[in-house]
Amino acid sequence: MDRSRRDFLRNIGRVTAGAPVALASGTVAAVAAGAPAPVHHWAMVVDVAKCIGCQACTVACIMENRVPENAFRTFVSTYEVAEGDVTRLAMLPRLCNHCDEPPCVPVCPVGATFKAPDGEVLVDGDACVGCGYCVQACPYDARFINAETRTADKCTFCAHRVEAGLLPACVETCVGGARIFGDLADPSSTVSKLLKERGGEAKVLKPEEKTRPNVFYLGLDERFAGRVDAVPTLWRPTEQRV
Amino acid sequence: MTSRRDLFKGAAVVGGAAAFAAGFSETAERMLETVVSPAHARGTTGNSQKPEFRVTAAGDLELDPDTRTAFTLCQGCTTLCGVRVRIDAKTDTVTRVTGNPYSPLSTDPHVPMGTPVRKALLSLTRHNEAGLAGRSTACGRGNAVLEQQTSPYRVTAPMKRVGPRNSGRWEPISFEQLIHEVVEGGDLFGEGHVKGLRELRSFDPIDPAAPELGPKVNKVALLASVADGRNPFVARFVQKAYGSINMTGHGSYCGGSYRAGSGAVFGDTKTMPHAKPDIPNAEFVIFMGTAPANAGNPFKRFGTLLAKARTDGAMKYVIVDPVLGHSDNEAARDRGRWVPIRPGTDAALAMAMIRWILDENRYDATFLAQPSLAAAKAAGEVAWSNATHLVIADPAHARFGRFLRGSDVGAAVAEADRGKDADPFVVIDPATDAPVVAGAAPATLFAEREIEVEGKPVKVATSLSLLAASARAHTIADYSAICGVPEDVVVGLAREFTSHGKKAAISSHGGTMAGNGFQSAFAIVMLNTLIGNLNRKGGTFATAGGFNPYAGPRYKLADFPGSVKPTGVPLSRNVPYEKTTEFKTKKAAGKAWPAEAPWFSTAGQLSTQWLPSALSGYPYGIDALILWSVNPVYGIPGVRPIAEKTLGDPKRIPLIVAVDPFINESSCFADYIVPDSTMYESWGFIEPWGGVPTKSMVMRWPVVEPKAAKTAEGHPISIETFLIALAKAMKLPGFGADAIVAADGSKHPLDRAEDWYLRAAANVAFTGKGPVPDATDDDVALAGVGRLMGAIEERLSKEEVRKVAFLATRGGRHQPLAEAWGPDGKAAWVFEKPLQVWNEGVGATRDSMTGKRLSGVPTWVPPTFADGTPVEEKYPTKDWPLRLVSQKSPLQNSYSIAARRLRGLHPDNPVGISPADAERLGLATGDKVRISSPTGSVEGVALVRHSVREGVVAVEHGFGHKELGARPHRIGDRLQPTDPGNAAGVALNDLGLIDPTGKHQTVFVDPIAGTAVRQAIPARLERA
Repeated sequence: MDRSRRDFLRNIGRVTAGAPVALASGTVAAVAAGAPAPVHHWAMVVDVAKCIGCQACTVACIMENRVPENAFRTFVSTYEVAEGDVTRLAMLPRLCNHCDEPPCVPVCPVGATFKAPDGEVLVDGDACVGCGYCVQACPYDARFINAETRTADKCTFCAHRVEAGLLPACVETCVGGARIFGDLADPSSTVSKLLKERGGEAKVLKPEEKTRPNVFYLGLDERFAGRVDAVPTLWRPTEQRV
Repeated sequence: MTSRRDLFKGAAVVGGAAAFAAGFSETAERMLETVVSPAHARGTTGNSQKPEFRVTAAGDLELDPDTRTAFTLCQGCTTLCGVRVRIDAKTDTVTRVTGNPYSPLSTDPHVPMGTPVRKALLSLTRHNEAGLAGRSTACGRGNAVLEQQTSPYRVTAPMKRVGPRNSGRWEPISFEQLIHEVVEGGDLFGEGHVKGLRELRSFDPIDPAAPELGPKVNKVALLASVADGRNPFVARFVQKAYGSINMTGHGSYCGGSYRAGSGAVFGDTKTMPHAKPDIPNAEFVIFMGTAPANAGNPFKRFGTLLAKARTDGAMKYVIVDPVLGHSDNEAARDRGRWVPIRPGTDAALAMAMIRWILDENRYDATFLAQPSLAAAKAAGEVAWSNATHLVIADPAHARFGRFLRGSDVGAAVAEADRGKDADPFVVIDPATDAPVVAGAAPATLFAEREIEVEGKPVKVATSLSLLAASARAHTIADYSAICGVPEDVVVGLAREFTSHGKKAAISSHGGTMAGNGFQSAFAIVMLNTLIGNLNRKGGTFATAGGFNPYAGPRYKLADFPGSVKPTGVPLSRNVPYEKTTEFKTKKAAGKAWPAEAPWFSTAGQLSTQWLPSALSGYPYGIDALILWSVNPVYGIPGVRPIAEKTLGDPKRIPLIVAVDPFINESSCFADYIVPDSTMYESWGFIEPWGGVPTKSMVMRWPVVEPKAAKTAEGHPISIETFLIALAKAMKLPGFGADAIVAADGSKHPLDRAEDWYLRAAANVAFTGKGPVPDATDDDVALAGVGRLMGAIEERLSKEEVRKVAFLATRGGRHQPLAEAWGPDGKAAWVFEKPLQVWNEGVGATRDSMTGKRLSGVPTWVPPTFADGTPVEEKYPTKDWPLRLVSQKSPLQNSYSIAARRLRGLHPDNPVGISPADAERLGLATGDKVRISSPTGSVEGVALVRHSVREGVVAVEHGFGHKELGARPHRIGDRLQPTDPGNAAGVALNDLGLIDPTGKHQTVFVDPIAGTAVRQAIPARLERA
């Protein structure tokens, strides 16, 4: 099993799914002093068991946001989990975590990356100089430099759609209904209720980074933290070759 | 930084985990350059599209003035979902695709038809969070295939080959020249005279000595692909106007074996009915040879239902497959499980389960004991079977394999009715233990005995006894050894399957496409019969169908004065061999079998046979072939060498016309290519293929202006435009002035596509329980139907106009899901014919090559060539230790490779091998490998997967293209672009087998169903 073990360490090591999250009910995004009181606190809950790994979210995001070829604002990583004779598939939808303590913000030399009042972490393309510091600071590898705009690019929670009263493109087209988007500032929202009812099983990625993500995972197997033999499979985007 | 770099490196090696590594590489690259602030990154949302509408503070919908929304159909795969497209009004281009909330294939539950469009669109938004539960989706491919509209590889004007066939050089020609040459023929290519369609339309016999072959017009054939909602129009030309019997689709190289085996259970191997599991209400479902989150049909709806059922619902399920795709998710815990099986052995597992269920009395005895619909109804059942019917089981009897009939045991039956429907079936009365006519009372399930028929003892047995005998031909241990599924798992599957009453189901599809696929599907579907789950909530249901557009109440589109009824033997030889002159001649000479090549009397038309028939000239050759948006050369395993000798040789097939928006591996051989419309530009009416328990009919209409060139009259060129022009040039009936007759007797022209489809729409609008409501002005505005109103008003009566507009504003007509299940969990739409435990049509048929009787019940046979030789005998495992299997990803299909956004995500198809085989062969992920089968070899890249069973080589379909942008074509003085990415990966079908036992060169097919073999192909693998 040496070989598999090595695979596992290589592949999974960085996707640490940590302990259940302590949810501060009614948390609000950090905002600069003097800013108007936030109305919303946008968040996504991913009900992992509902994900069928179809990548509808990935493609919808690409089309909606005109993401350049071979770059991704969101993606579903697919793993094999082999234990003894039993092999299973595991899906992990990934995107910007819109952290309450975003490590990408303080490293920006021009203040282009910021935490918006409603909780989204955004990049002001007019200000961004494309230095890539934020790309390296992100523990979730959720950022890239857009080859066309030459600025830092990432998931915006589809701020342009949410502002218009619509759902993010990935949520709207999620075939399994795994992506659930809403307002944590509203206790009656679906995401608030889900986290209240199933908060015990909610996890965030890399809690040890203390980033306080706003993307929560339900049903994410704790074994992702490091006891299984998991080999990413099937999806091999062009840029990720040996 | 070091650890970070290592992390990225490690991640990049393995792919999936490194989703965002692309971003990092880009950063690294950028950091080496001087950063120049870009010109077009603005604000916080970059290049994101403008939302198509917004919700106002008051909760109303406000349209974006530069955007149209419209409901139409996706042709990204054969599921054909109703979708909603966003159109940039300025450029008339589709820029986004999501689901149509009215379509059951995209939304669960779908919005009722009566809901105004404004409210339906609001149900997709954040407003009251309605869009979370009401989400209407497009899959990954559905989101991306809009690229085909503006693809640089698209053909938009008619063209004619320059130089020899398949030389990749073309000259654009006018539509008028195209029609003239195709109709009149001539020395079209400087290669001698080519007969045109006018000359070829002869009703003289092909062979006066074999009149059963029919008229010469049959030598003109049209091959279609999926039934995309236009086939009835095309059949009107090919069959009813022109008069050829030869038109069919891609089914025989799609999931044909599943349909054939299912058809055997449902009692119709020609139209092949089938049922799907009721996932929302089932407690246990086995998916065997189908992957509900990967492919199959309806892929997306089943993906949605699967996700719900394994989380919020009660369902547990098992995937039985040599390869595990995305249908499992470990976060669903104990709800799902994968059982790896050896390729080509599904029938062994299914027969083992049948045996255990019969041995252990775990079948639904009440269901099976009902010998008639009346008895079933009296017993509270909603379906019934012929399990108790007595079969003549005496090989010496003239009617061996047929059912015993009432007239055989003294029932009063008119002589003319003997053996027909009016002659009742015979069962054993459990009270008297005597044979009686099947009535409204339950009958004995198991009986084998001799009874007296016309004074002679005849061996008879019930259908169920014959099934039991077939199942008991092997022990469960033997079956387990054959299929590689441990005995306790076999029994566990059978026990679980029979532990939920009727709330269990087994489902299958293309995984059965092996050299014994008919038996696999027959056995799998039989399992559903044993628990009597048809038409029951939580069990299985047959498709509820749609709303008939052709035989509707407004216009008689199904037929016309002067129409031809085609006759003769189809190219597929799917009629009884015994009725041929060849059989009679050979029989007279004392050796009736084998036939020259197989006959498939129980099957429908088989496109697998067409090119081999053209090569052998048996039963006759092809004079002219129209390839309509179809790609048999890419789709049929093993056919390429035969295609090169037929499509590639004008002496074999003198005239080939492709009607296709792209140049694929088949249309590249054409003499002429006629541009067809692509999905959002075209018309059609299509019902779900399966899996929707309510009536549904998508209306597809051109939501944007077609990009193809126009005729002199200004009609965009498409299959319809082409066929109308051909028909008019030849003065065929059914087209042109006064060709369409309305119910009121008035006559209307059929000069362009709208003439047909808008009248079909009127039929859909007025049929069923009554006409649909009128569309409001608001509906028309919100659903982008304004551009269609002129065409509607021009053709239809005042009372029809707003109702047809209503259909367009909903993208079709769909029955509410609430009407799917009646009280007591019975399906609203019920399949009422008997399920066949013994299929008389199959059981009374002899194999045309071996002369042996087929089995009327499923039975285990290994993959077998046409003369009865097992594959193992010709290609033993010691030489060919591996088995190739084909699957699909949710992203690529056989024609989507040129969609760059899909390719960026899934650029090729590394060959899946198990860790054990990788170790044995010394291979690792990323190694170049050579895969060889007895007929060829290809080079690919290995991907070691725990989710591939040992001994299996898993190849995803959709890659390894030679066309569709992989090869440059010169059109006039313009060289089409190419992209090496379009040629990426390998095509399993290049490794398909030629049947080595045939007299003529033909592809390996299932011996009964005639369907292509892409599963369990013998192979070996080595480092390249």
